[in-house]
Amino acid sequence: MGILFSRLFSSLFGNKEARILVLGLDNAGKTTILYRLQMGEVVSTIPTIGFNVETVQYKNIKFQVWDLGGQTSIRPYWRCYFPNTQAIIYVVDSSDTDRLAIAKDEFHAILEEEELKGAVVLIFANKQDLPGALDDAAVTEALELHKIKSRQMGYLKTSATKGEGLFEGLDWLSNTLKSGSG
Amino acid sequence: MSGHDSKYFSTTKKGEIPELKEELNSQYKDKRKDAVKKVIAAMTVGKDVSSLFTDVVNCMQTENLELKKLVYLYLINYAKSQPDLAILAVNTFVKDSQDPNPLIRALAVRTMGCIRVDKITEYLCDPLQRCLKDDDPYVRKTAAICVAKLFDINAELVEDRGFLDSLKDLISDNNPMVVANAVAALAEIQENSAKPIFEITSATLAKLLTALNECTEWGQVFILDALSRYKAADAREAENIVERVTPRLQHANCAVVLSAVKMILQQMELITSTDIVRNLCKKMAPPLVTLLSAEPEIQYVALRNINLIVQKRPTILAHEIKVFFCKYNDPIYVKMEKLEIMIKLASDRNIDQVLLEFKEYATEVDVDFVRKAVRAIGRCAIKLERAAERCISVLLELIKIKVNYVVQEAIIVIKDIFRRYPNTYESIIATLCESLDTLDEPEAKASMIWIIGEYAERIDNADELLESFLESFPEEPPQVQLQLLTATVKLFLKKPTEGPQQMIQAVLNNATVETDNPDLRDRAYIYWRLLSTDPEAAKDVVLAEKPVITDDSNQLDPSLLDELLANIATLSSVYHKPPESFVTRLKTISQKAEEDEYPEGSEAGYGESPAHPVEGAASPTSSSGSRQLAAAPPVAAPAPVPDLLGDLMGMDNSNSLVPVDQPTPAGPPLPVLLPEAKGQGLQISAQLTRRDGQVPPLQPGTSARTLLPMVLFQNVAPGAPNTLLQVAVKNNQQPVWYFNDKISLHVLFTEDGRMERSTFLETWKSLPDSNEVLKEFPGLVINSMESALDKLAASNMFFIAKRKNANQEVLYLSAKIPKGIPFLIELTAAAGIPGVKCAIKTPSPEMAPLFFEALEHFLQS
Repeated sequence: MGILFSRLFSSLFGNKEARILVLGLDNAGKTTILYRLQMGEVVSTIPTIGFNVETVQYKNIKFQVWDLGGQTSIRPYWRCYFPNTQAIIYVVDSSDTDRLAIAKDEFHAILEEEELKGAVVLIFANKQDLPGALDDAAVTEALELHKIKSRQMGYLKTSATKGEGLFEGLDWLSNTLKSGSG
Repeated sequence: MSGHDSKYFSTTKKGEIPELKEELNSQYKDKRKDAVKKVIAAMTVGKDVSSLFTDVVNCMQTENLELKKLVYLYLINYAKSQPDLAILAVNTFVKDSQDPNPLIRALAVRTMGCIRVDKITEYLCDPLQRCLKDDDPYVRKTAAICVAKLFDINAELVEDRGFLDSLKDLISDNNPMVVANAVAALAEIQENSAKPIFEITSATLAKLLTALNECTEWGQVFILDALSRYKAADAREAENIVERVTPRLQHANCAVVLSAVKMILQQMELITSTDIVRNLCKKMAPPLVTLLSAEPEIQYVALRNINLIVQKRPTILAHEIKVFFCKYNDPIYVKMEKLEIMIKLASDRNIDQVLLEFKEYATEVDVDFVRKAVRAIGRCAIKLERAAERCISVLLELIKIKVNYVVQEAIIVIKDIFRRYPNTYESIIATLCESLDTLDEPEAKASMIWIIGEYAERIDNADELLESFLESFPEEPPQVQLQLLTATVKLFLKKPTEGPQQMIQAVLNNATVETDNPDLRDRAYIYWRLLSTDPEAAKDVVLAEKPVITDDSNQLDPSLLDELLANIATLSSVYHKPPESFVTRLKTISQKAEEDEYPEGSEAGYGESPAHPVEGAASPTSSSGSRQLAAAPPVAAPAPVPDLLGDLMGMDNSNSLVPVDQPTPAGPPLPVLLPEAKGQGLQISAQLTRRDGQVPPLQPGTSARTLLPMVLFQNVAPGAPNTLLQVAVKNNQQPVWYFNDKISLHVLFTEDGRMERSTFLETWKSLPDSNEVLKEFPGLVINSMESALDKLAASNMFFIAKRKNANQEVLYLSAKIPKGIPFLIELTAAAGIPGVKCAIKTPSPEMAPLFFEALEHFLQS
């Protein structure tokens, strides 16, 4: 079984990299997540005006992770990065209750994009370590996830600063990508 | 056939751009790098590859330095054409400016300075700040230059962020290269700024002098140029500075030498000890002489500078005249400059040698050079009294060669010599008269005629000679005609016989009735009247003693000379023109919107240009109204009359020229709404304010200012509310003038707009949701909530409450416009971060666009 697994991987990705976009509103924790994944530590970040791209090696798979700035002014340019994307990680600040509605709108707009029809979607309900962070039910409700059908979608509670939930997310991604194409 | 033909429209062949796009997004690094190279290649041959902007920028985050440099190159080229997308590069710049590799940090900061896109400059300040304090000197020196570039893009930003102080700190840097670049940056900023930014103090002076010895040659030039602007406190300090700088005179780089010379010349002004000055002059000679052994182009530059230097301090090169002797193979421009300097250096001691040279030059083949050489002899004769005779004998020898242009040139200079030394050398006139027939140039002819007229009494056949010229009078150039006229009058006054009398009749007739030249005619009439009224008076006037002329070889005005000397080693000293006469700088003075000031009704917004007749028709508002924004003509039509035509025509009426330089009130000039050209001389400038007034009577050619009340709610133009104020002005001389002015909604906010918290809440709740309008201003930044609130309060937008939401602050304000229509305002923003959200609730939501327009304008300023 294990041998079969790794064969599948190599046939799937070869030495190619899976292209993953990390999206979400500003101050959701995207850059922190990226560097937590890449370096395994919490770096101090400033608002990303533009993008970060890093290659994350996880369990023999290379993820090319694009972290795009979440400022209102930059969101229109997300679309420049949509082509050839295998997966999206959508990061939500679970404690920012006021802007969940905007987060929802942006999220649903992304799902409508033609170029992302084939991409799998993983939602990180981030900042779970903060007091006042909403629970699963509240977040899924706010994002109106029940309205989304015919989409491979994952949902995880995460805390980038504590490193919780992130690698589970990568596990889920690698499994889904493998089975999705195989 | 049908249904399948659509395939002809979709081609399978891809163009170059889509192909490159695909490669740029390739999974493989090598392929991406190759693609970027192809893009750069296309760019350098002039193909437009700007459409690949995002794809190229996506390759920016790479370990590969070569690839990074290529992407940066691309960015410099295309950021301007894709200003919106350029923002995507910002994060990478920020990251690169923190890269462990100093080369990458410097590269990032240098490229940032080259990208002149307003939208991203502010994001580049933090990285720049860091790089100015970088551990690596290479990064610091690059950052220093970047500050100068940033200043050019946005001077205010540089001042606000304290970059100027950081730059000044860099002058004390321990690395000489950093010091030199900081000096260069500060000097450039200073040139573009009216404020004193860069002033050397005694503390920085020591640093600069130390750095001078260690930095590169171009760094030395920057430092020397800066030092030459430094005013030493006293002679001792000046001596010390000069002493430290003197070794630079031996430098191999001509720019360093010239800058050092400039610096020493400036400081020498302060040195009082003649010994030291003499010593310095001695030291400066050899380096200047050395410059003349370089290529002709550099020789020329050196000669132009030396030309200035010898005018100020002839002693420096007094003993070096031989190096300025022309070589046969010198280019003509070098020869001409050398001649000029030889004249300046000619003295009683070396004149024999110089004359020999000049005589030699006068027999060469190049006509211009020969002429200049002949002239040089004449100028030496005028300059050196004791050598005049020798000069004249050389000139006579030259005349004997009978080369046409030599003779003519000689006659021109001999005329000047006669003026300089009257009654000394007239014996040679006979020789000159021999060559009379060969003269064909106006200047030479005029000179000869002047000589004949001036010395008519000593030339026996003067009348015959003049007569020979008179035959062709109408065909002569004006210069010759004028001289002929004067010479004939002189002849007549000296020999009032029959021959000259006939001649004078003919000449006066020719010069008055027959000519179109006003100069000639005027002069002829003056002579005519003089002669007909009082011939004795005419004698006193025409034959009056003339002032003796002096040498003109030091032509430059002393103040101009000093200015040029301060600019040695620049183009200015080569052109011999002050820099401002040929350098035009496009200054980007950010014009503060004046509208900000008028709602307070203060006089600050009031001013006028004194050069134009201005009738102030200021309309304004203090009463009430919501739709009054359109069509509110000033109530009182201006009764009085600007009759400018009367002025222009009434030239003989001595008091009709009215001075327009009445005192101008402080403040910026009002915007001109009706330009002079359109209003038949009536110009109207106006601005809204909050006062009332009347139109005063307006006299021709004068201007007046006034305040007019605006009546609201009458004559309102139909349609949706807008901000157009239509104005009509009637007066009793001209047609009615119509024009428009734009007003901003906030001028209508009334003082009673403040609301209690509870009233606010109630009103908010009572209004239906459909009355709420929301608008986002992504580009706006509020840097300080307090100052923003102050500003808003000043224009009657009153603060009620605030709350915090995450990192953002939510402010509640209220405002009221006439007729008691309230605006409930909710502003959401984070200090210092772009993006302001504004929601308003009002019973008249149709006013919302006007409100947002006013608000945006407000927050922007």
